[in-house]
Amino acid sequence: MSARPWAARLHLPTLGVAALVLAAWVLLSWRYGAYVLPSPLQVVYGLGEVVRSGDIWRHTAASLSRILVGFGGAVVVALLMGLGSFLSRTARDVIHDFLAVLNSTSVFVWIVISIIWFGLSNWAPIFTTFMITLPVVASNIVEGVANVDRRLLEMGDVYRLGGGEKFRSIVIPSTLPYLVAGMKVGFGLALKVSVVAEIFGVTSGIGYIMNYSREILATHMVFAWALVMILVMTVTDKLVFDALSRRMTRWR
Amino acid sequence: MTKLEVRGVGKDFLVPVIDSVSFTVDAGEFVCLLGPNGCGKTTLLRILGGIEAATRGTVLLDGKPVVADVRHDRRVGVVFQEDRLLPWLSLRDNVMLVLKPLGTSVDQRRTKAERYLGLAGLAGFESYYPGRVSGGMRQRAAIARALAIEPDVLLMDEPFGALDAQNRRIMQNEVRRIWRETGRTILFVTHSIEEAVAIGSTLIMLSARPARIRELIRNDDRLERAKLIDDLNTMIMEEVERQQGAGPA
Repeated sequence: MSARPWAARLHLPTLGVAALVLAAWVLLSWRYGAYVLPSPLQVVYGLGEVVRSGDIWRHTAASLSRILVGFGGAVVVALLMGLGSFLSRTARDVIHDFLAVLNSTSVFVWIVISIIWFGLSNWAPIFTTFMITLPVVASNIVEGVANVDRRLLEMGDVYRLGGGEKFRSIVIPSTLPYLVAGMKVGFGLALKVSVVAEIFGVTSGIGYIMNYSREILATHMVFAWALVMILVMTVTDKLVFDALSRRMTRWR
Repeated sequence: MTKLEVRGVGKDFLVPVIDSVSFTVDAGEFVCLLGPNGCGKTTLLRILGGIEAATRGTVLLDGKPVVADVRHDRRVGVVFQEDRLLPWLSLRDNVMLVLKPLGTSVDQRRTKAERYLGLAGLAGFESYYPGRVSGGMRQRAAIARALAIEPDVLLMDEPFGALDAQNRRIMQNEVRRIWRETGRTILFVTHSIEEAVAIGSTLIMLSARPARIRELIRNDDRLERAKLIDDLNTMIMEEVERQQGAGPA
């Protein structure tokens, strides 16, 4: 354990700044009114409502299920791209160019296209999430595959390991840190993008309910749902990705 | 019984690196390949192991030609300068991995792996990960891995180059012991005269680039050690000078 002072370890400086922000929040909310900036108390009340009514589960589950399909699909395709880039030099170049194009396409393009192609259904936000998450995760995986130690692959050749065995025993473990890093970033992106895509046309999910709350002028609910999003992100980061990361680097 | 036959092997990389090398190795010999740095010793070893292709000449292992990237039915074990162990597998799993293509059961592989790790002096460390053991121990594991496939020929490319002087002495003795215990045919590249004289049964001194055989010496007890080391040192320095004169390595 590092010898950091106990004050720093308890995140006291952050809490200090947070307290200042809170104070400023209360003052500004009193000045500008509940529509523009609800008070912290109103937001907490909104959060309580969300939990009590069970809406938190309903909308979070709706968003998460869409994210998992879109994100999951992106991970699968990204893995296939990784395999392709390992097997063929040409494939690697094509994939690289393809990803560069995808990376520079904005979210809104996919939102609009997905509505045209999939109408006002669940598939629209799923498709948008997929198209935005794919280049991020795939770029990481392809980079990981390109960085596999050639000397280990040569050792594999010398000892007559088959292509499949080399891929399983050498390429995949080498690439895992890149994969997990890519998934962590990709999931965060998927969450943000999916919520935006939900504004257009679906009838459940965090994005939908945030937008609905805005329409009925319940700004405190907008903030409350923003808190829910932050909570979901923190939980998945800590419970899923950090745990995965730790498990995978046991051998270091 | 001839194990390895090298006939007129040459290699060009834009310029000739190996001119023409011919020699035979009998089963159970411990051959040390010596020569100035950059003379092509490693290249020659890689050609013998089928990792690189020769430009000229042939290599016969148990009578069958060795061709780069083509499967040979004889087994060749290689110990590189770096240990090239997979850091995410334990020492035991590293050795078991190379036994997979040989088609034995998991239990047989585990027994073999543990036996050879023990032979290499790593008993008790089988479950350790490479990152947790010293450089010397990692090289021992690499040696155990090469031995575990029970190779027809064992190629070692300056395997102790990265070790400190003390560990180097220890490992030289270990390799010599292992050679006596297993009777394997070993080809060992080194640039250290002392090391070669200490462990090799046959010493082949290569000339400066483009490499040719300068001298082949049977290292038996009839030769006086100190004089042999002196003669070889003189020889290698001549070749080093010649190579410096010819251009950078």
